[in-house]
Amino acid sequence: MSNLGIIIGREFKGRVAKKSFIITTILMPLFMLLLMAAPALIAMMSSPKERVLAVVDESNIVLPALVSAHPENIVIMPVAEPLDSVMHSDKYDAVLAVPADVTKTASATLYQHESASMEFESQLSGIIEQAVRDQRLKAYDIENLDQILKNVETDVSLSTVRITDEGEEESTSSGLSFGIGIVCAFILYMFLLMYGQAVMTSIIEEKSNRVLELVVSSVRPTQLMLGKIIGVGLVAVVQVVIWTILMAAMSMFVLPMLVPDSVMAQVNMMNAGTLDATQASVDTGVLQAISFFGSVGSILTLFGWLLVFLVGGFLFYAAIFAAIGSSVDNIQDASQLTSFAILPIIVSLVLAMVVLQDPNTTMSFWLSVIPFTSPMIMLCRIPFGVPTWEILLSVVVLYLSFIFMAWLAGKIYRVGIFMYGKKPNIKDLIRWARYK
Amino acid sequence: MEDILQVEHVTKRFTGHTALDDVSLSVPTGKIYGLLGPNGAGKTTLIRIINHITAPDEGRVLFQGTPLTEKDVAHIGYLPEERGLYKKMKVGEQAMFFARLKGLKSSQAREELKKWFEKFQISDWWDKKVEELSKGMAQKVQFIVTVLHRPSLLIFDEPFSGFDPINAELLKREILELRDQGATVIFSTHNMDSVERLCDDITLINRSHNILSGNVARIREAHGKDRYRLAFDGNPQELLTNLGARLLSNKVEAIEGNQFKAELHVKPDVERREIIDIVNRTVDLISFDRALPSMNDIFLNTVAEYNRAHNISNELTPVLG
Repeated sequence: MSNLGIIIGREFKGRVAKKSFIITTILMPLFMLLLMAAPALIAMMSSPKERVLAVVDESNIVLPALVSAHPENIVIMPVAEPLDSVMHSDKYDAVLAVPADVTKTASATLYQHESASMEFESQLSGIIEQAVRDQRLKAYDIENLDQILKNVETDVSLSTVRITDEGEEESTSSGLSFGIGIVCAFILYMFLLMYGQAVMTSIIEEKSNRVLELVVSSVRPTQLMLGKIIGVGLVAVVQVVIWTILMAAMSMFVLPMLVPDSVMAQVNMMNAGTLDATQASVDTGVLQAISFFGSVGSILTLFGWLLVFLVGGFLFYAAIFAAIGSSVDNIQDASQLTSFAILPIIVSLVLAMVVLQDPNTTMSFWLSVIPFTSPMIMLCRIPFGVPTWEILLSVVVLYLSFIFMAWLAGKIYRVGIFMYGKKPNIKDLIRWARYK
Repeated sequence: MEDILQVEHVTKRFTGHTALDDVSLSVPTGKIYGLLGPNGAGKTTLIRIINHITAPDEGRVLFQGTPLTEKDVAHIGYLPEERGLYKKMKVGEQAMFFARLKGLKSSQAREELKKWFEKFQISDWWDKKVEELSKGMAQKVQFIVTVLHRPSLLIFDEPFSGFDPINAELLKREILELRDQGATVIFSTHNMDSVERLCDDITLINRSHNILSGNVARIREAHGKDRYRLAFDGNPQELLTNLGARLLSNKVEAIEGNQFKAELHVKPDVERREIIDIVNRTVDLISFDRALPSMNDIFLNTVAEYNRAHNISNELTPVLG
């Protein structure tokens, strides 16, 4: 194996074998998944408590509505006794007191022995609201009121269809794209910062450990630098690949289990273009999300682009971090110089939020070309649909910029690793880069 | 035998100063070669050039007769003065890493390492992390890493610093053994005692120039020309009077009673026979020998002379470690 390979191997193995890597890679997505599924799981496991509700209804409007609605887990007990006597009886979990003029005041009181439950309260207030509304409408004495109301009830769903270059129609939802874009930008932000700084720390450690001189007597400095960058980069790639596999597995096996068949049928209808949005039981945005995450192809495409920009962005920034790392003796001295690398990454994330509002402006275009911002900006625009040539331009510029940056960083690194004592500034770095 | 390493007219400049200025030297195969000089003279730069870490601006380095290339570093073992190991890595794993960087195959490296670890009685360190080792223990590992790939040229930069006397002795024995097995050793050190005891040849670098090169014995002889050390029974004052104008300088010390020892530096044109005659006539001679200067004196004098000649004596006094 070549020396570059040995350097990469050491860097890679040392990191992948670490407990923290295994935890963040395997456990984090599971943990997040669990966190998302937790409310549903808890709801499923704990059977809701059945409450006995005494109703003292002076209006005679709410009680019939309650009875006919027969809400889940509530046993309704009409009582004729006065409120005071019912209130302290432990036969009931709660007492609902409805005044005679409820239609006017639209208020009622719920007395409970236990702490309040939001679900229980909203259940009741929903029914009372409906009863009062019906009563008020009835007062207008309109013929065929029920029929009219049924006709009026609507739930508008706006399905957006993007016309692609190839003339195909592609159903998109800007809400979904926005969500995916933000998540992608954020993942990239984390990776660039974490792994970029990992390269820097690793170089500083070598330098302050004085193991460097031993290593460079066998490996050329630039080779060592590239080896470290590639080694750390591979760790990031492995992490993303594992996440991709987990996501794909989820989409293949877990998602179909979680989504009810009726919803799945609607997703299929939507994809076939035969869905009547007014008949759908679920919001089309949700259907689109299910459709997206249910398709292994779309997940692979997304993660494919994520990898392309992650690797490109990482290489580009890692070269900068490497140059900085080589120039300082310890991590404390690095803080000033690291802002040259960290700042553009933070700015990129902020700009990504702006770009997501309107992904197709001239500014968005240029930000997707400039290598400092392009990984995050282009990646978060991709879910909205970007012409292929723009993506290619972005990728090519990014990777060419990496080659330039690696060359420049190599020149600084070569000199920097032998410089001890003085805390360098950006001028020193530029001067070193000019050394023959 | 041909010289394993030839440095020819090597110049290396950095912004602001020249680290090496037209330095040439030849290291004979199978010998121990001392690279001496005050701090900041350019030794480390020269060692880095020999290790192919940096390239000279002018001049060239020949390794076994051909210009030094990257693949030659597999035949060089280098123990830097500033040395360290990866703290979080296990000893064995780390030694394997360095061995493979020097071109050894995994199986070969493991076999060789096992041998060395047994020899140094550190086999049970294999799975220890380096941060658990003491400094001296880490030095042993570094030494093994340096010599493991059986390099034909070994470069030790201040090898004894950080070793206790027992381990320093062990190290010295190992170095001599490697020399006996055919390896050439370059020593960079401030410890002039070890230079006298170990080195066959030396080069003294001062202010980026090679100001003295050659065989240690011959250098000491050359610097000891016209210098004599004697012990006698008699009157020292009378002796000095009789020697008179032949002397350039002298130093006399009482041993006990009537016995004295003296160091004489005589004029170059005075013959030894003449001195012995005068001494014999004047006092009762106990011993008479040439006074070979120590490498330490030669180092100090040569550097001081050079600096005086170049009008730089006030700027920098040589610092001895």
